[in-house]
Amino acid sequence: MKDRLRRVGLLSALAIVAAVPAVAPAAASAKATITMSGSTSVAPLAALLARKYLNVCNHCVNFKLLQGGSDIGVADVASGRVTIGNSSRDPKPTDPGGLVFNKIAHDAICIVTNKANPVPGIDQAGIQAIFGGSVRSWSQVPGSTQTGTIDMFVRTPASGSQDAFQKIFMGSTKVFSGASQKASNGLIEQSVSSDPNGIGYVSLFFTKNVHTIPYKGVDCNLRDAKSGQYGGVRNFYMVTRGAPTGAAKKWITWITHNKAASKIISTQWVPLS
Amino acid sequence: MRPNGSHSAKPKDRTDQRAEIALGALASAVLLLIGFMIVFVFAKAWPSFTGNGLAWFGAGGNVDEQLTNIFNSPASPSDYVYTFHAWPLLYATALITGLSVLFATVISLLSAMFIVEFAPEYMKRILQPVIRLLAAVPSVVYGLIGILVLVPFVGNHLISAAEKDSVRYVIQLDGTSVLVGVLVLTVMITPIMVAITTDALRSVPRNWTEGAAALGVNRWRALRTVGLRAARPAIVAAAVLATARALGEAIMLSMVSGSVGFAPNPLDGVTFIFEPARTLAATIVDNAEGLSVKPFGQTIYALAAILLISSFFLSFAGWVARQSMRKYTLQAR
Amino acid sequence: MSAHTHAQVPSPPAASPLPGGRKSAEESWSRGDKIGVVMAWAAGILLCVVAATIVIYMLFRGLQYLSFSLLATHPEVGLDQSKTGGFLDPIEGTVILTILGTLIAAPLGVGIAVWLSEYARPAWLARAVESGVEIVAGTPSIVLAIFGLLIFQQSFFGFLSFTAEGNAVFGRSFFTAGAMMALIALPLIVGSTREALQSIPSHVREASYALGKDRISTIRRVLLPASRRGIGTGVTLGMGRIVGDTAIVVILLGASLQIAPENGTPVWGLLKGTGSTLTTYVYNNSPAGEGGAPQKAYAAAFVLLVIVILLNFAVDLIARRKEPGWTH
Repeated sequence: MKDRLRRVGLLSALAIVAAVPAVAPAAASAKATITMSGSTSVAPLAALLARKYLNVCNHCVNFKLLQGGSDIGVADVASGRVTIGNSSRDPKPTDPGGLVFNKIAHDAICIVTNKANPVPGIDQAGIQAIFGGSVRSWSQVPGSTQTGTIDMFVRTPASGSQDAFQKIFMGSTKVFSGASQKASNGLIEQSVSSDPNGIGYVSLFFTKNVHTIPYKGVDCNLRDAKSGQYGGVRNFYMVTRGAPTGAAKKWITWITHNKAASKIISTQWVPLS
Repeated sequence: MRPNGSHSAKPKDRTDQRAEIALGALASAVLLLIGFMIVFVFAKAWPSFTGNGLAWFGAGGNVDEQLTNIFNSPASPSDYVYTFHAWPLLYATALITGLSVLFATVISLLSAMFIVEFAPEYMKRILQPVIRLLAAVPSVVYGLIGILVLVPFVGNHLISAAEKDSVRYVIQLDGTSVLVGVLVLTVMITPIMVAITTDALRSVPRNWTEGAAALGVNRWRALRTVGLRAARPAIVAAAVLATARALGEAIMLSMVSGSVGFAPNPLDGVTFIFEPARTLAATIVDNAEGLSVKPFGQTIYALAAILLISSFFLSFAGWVARQSMRKYTLQAR
Repeated sequence: MSAHTHAQVPSPPAASPLPGGRKSAEESWSRGDKIGVVMAWAAGILLCVVAATIVIYMLFRGLQYLSFSLLATHPEVGLDQSKTGGFLDPIEGTVILTILGTLIAAPLGVGIAVWLSEYARPAWLARAVESGVEIVAGTPSIVLAIFGLLIFQQSFFGFLSFTAEGNAVFGRSFFTAGAMMALIALPLIVGSTREALQSIPSHVREASYALGKDRISTIRRVLLPASRRGIGTGVTLGMGRIVGDTAIVVILLGASLQIAPENGTPVWGLLKGTGSTLTTYVYNNSPAGEGGAPQKAYAAAFVLLVIVILLNFAVDLIARRKEPGWTH
C-alpha cells in the first residue's frame, strides 16, 4: 500500500514538472533576443555596451553574447545561428554572400616585445622582414638589446586580429610558417612577457606587461590611436545578414549614434567619429 | 551462471517479459546511438577523404596553411577546397602517444613491482591513495601546470640559443614541445597503469611465486619472471587503456605541446625533442570553432574519424593479445 | 613414476652448486637483479615525489590566489580578466552539469548493467552492447563532443538548446553537454554495477525464485539493493570523470562566461541555456584561452582539485562500507 502511494506521488511530481514548461509564462518570450557571437576582442566592448543599453531602454531586449573568434561570428551569422556576428577584421572576398558589415568602433593593434628588449621603433619594412621570416636574429634589428633568435608569436588563422595584422602591417608578405601560433591576445601577451626574445602583436589593452614599439615613429597608445596618427588601427564590426532590422537595427543605431555609447567606447577603444 | 557471467533464465511472466524487453530496448538504444556516432562521423568525413585520396595520409605542404585555405573556401560547393595532407599530425600523434606509453609502461611496471614486493608498509599505505589521486586530477590542471611552469622553464632554461639558431629558418622553439607533451602525458597515464598492474600482480597466486623461491630464485627474479608473466594480459589491458587515454588527450596537449602542425625531425639530434608538434586530438580542439564552415568541418571530422579508427584498432589489438595469452596465465578482465 | 611405487624412494640428489658458484639463495642476486630492485625503488619514489610536487604546488598557488570573493561573485566579461569578478557561475555550471550528466547516466547505466548481467538474450546483442560500451569508454571525449554538436544541431533537437532567428539550431546548452557527459560516465557505471551484480552468488537468486518472485522483482528488491555499493562507486567515479572533462564543455556549452538562461521557466530555461564550468574557466583564463589571468586560473584549478579529491574520498568511503554478508 505504501509502495503504491509512493509510486503515485512520484508520478504526479513528474507530471507537474513536465507540465510546467507547457504552462510557462509565454510572455517571457515576447521580448526579442539579440544573439551575438564572434570576435574575442569585440566581446568586452559589446558586453559593456549591452549593459548600458539595457539600462537606457529599460530591459527592452534580451542579450546573449558568445565568442569563438571573428571567423566564427561571420560563419554563425551567415548560417542564421546568431543575430549579429562580431568581427575585428574587414570583410574578405571569401566571406559568405549577403552579409552587411556595420562598423562600430576602431581598435589599435600594437607590435610588442619583452620589456627587456625595448626596441625604439619600427617601420613596415622592418615588420615584414621580421614576421616574414627573412630576419631571424635580434642582432640584425636596429635598436634591439637582445642578440638571440627572434621568437615570433602570432594569432591562429581564424582570428580577426590575425587578418587585421596581415592586412595593415604585412600587406602581401606571408607570415613565417614556423611562428608560434597562439589562440588569444592574452596568450601572446603572456608569451612575449616571459620570453626576452619574443615579439608579437596584440590589441591595445593587452599591453600591460610588454613593451609597445612605436610604429612609424608614433607611440601605440589610446591618444595617438584616437588622433589617427598611429598607423595600426583596425575596425570593429557587427555583421548582420542583410541590413539590420528590428531590435538589432535599434541596437546598432544606438551604438553608432548615441552619445552614451560613444562615451563607453572612448574609455578603451576609438569611437567612430 | 552463463559463461559471459549472466544469470539468465526464462522470464516467468508478463511483467518479467516486459521488463526484459524494456531493458533490452534501453541497451539497444545506447548501441544504436554509438552506431549513429560512427556512421555520422564517417559520413561527415567522407568528402575530405575522397577529395584527397590516399594523399590525405601523406606529407606535403604546411598543414596549417592547408587548413586556412580550406576554411577560406569560396561559398559554392563545387569550389570547396579540400587539399589536406595530414602526415605531420599523424606522425606527431604516433610519436607523442608512443613515447608516453613506452615510458609509462616501464615506470608503471617498476612501480607496481615496488609496491607489491619491496615497498615498506608505510609507503604502501601512502602510495595507494596517492595513485588514485593522480589518476583523478583533471587534464586541464596538468595542462595549467605544464603551460605556466614547465613550458617557460624549457623555453628559457633548457633550450640553448644555439639550438634555436640551428632551426630558426624552419621552426621556432619556444618551450611548447614534444618534451613537455610527452612528460606531462606520461605523468597523466602512469597512475592508471600502476593501479591495474598492481592489482594484477597482487592476484598472482602466492604459491606460484613461492614455488619460484623454493627453486632458489630471489624475490626480484621471481617477480620478474613469474609475476609479470602471469599478469601479462592485465599489463596489455593497462597499456591499451593508457594508449586510448593518450590518443584522446586533447586539452592538455593543446596547451603544452605546441600549436603548429609541425613534424619534428629526428635528424635534428637533441633539438628534436624541443620542437613543437600537434596531435590529431589537439588539432580538433584548436580548430573546433570553425566547424560551421562546411569543408573545414568535414576535414576536422576526418581527423575525428581517424581517431575513432585508431581506438577500434587498439581495442581489437588488445583483445587479440589477451586472447593469445589466455592459456598461459590468469583470467584477465 | 608408477614403476617405482613399491621400491624405496630414492634420496634427493646432492645439492648442486648454484650457477655462478654462489652458495645460497641469498647470494643469488646478480647485478642485473640488484639494478632491477634499485630501479623499482626509484620508480616508487619518483611517483611519490611527482604526486607531492603537484599537490603541494597547486596547494601553494591556490591558497595564494584564492579568496572568498572569487568563490561568490559572478564573472564579468571584460577585456582585462584579472579585474573582473570571480567564478561563481563556473562553479554552479560544474555542479549543474555534473548532476545532469549523472541523472541521465545512472539509470541508463544501471539498466544496461542489469540487462547484461541478468538477461543478456539474444547472446549476439549482449556481446554487441558490451563492445559498444567498451567503444564509448575508449572514444576520446573530443570526438564525443563534436559528435554531440553534429546531432544536437539537427532541427529535431531544437527544443534542447536555443534556436536563432535564422532557424538554425544553436546546439549548445547544458542539456546537450549533459547528454554527452552522461556518455562518458556510462561505462564506469555499467562496469561497477555489473561487477557488483555478478559478485552476488547464484543461490541468492535461486532462493528468491524459489519463493515465487519473478526476475524483475528479484532484481528490484534483492539484487539492486545488494549492489548499492558497486552502483555508488560507479556513480561517484562517473561524477569524477564528468567534473574533470574539459573538451565536451568547450564545444557543447556555448562559451559564455556567465550562465545565460533561455526564455521560459527557470529550470528548463537554465538547462537550455549556456554557461561555463570550472574546467573551461581554468582553460580560458590560462594562456591557452582569452583570459590572461593565471592567478584566477590557479584559484579555480585549486577548487577543481578539491572537488575531485572530495569525490575520491567519497568513492573510498562507499567502497569501504561493510559488504552484506552472503553465506557461501
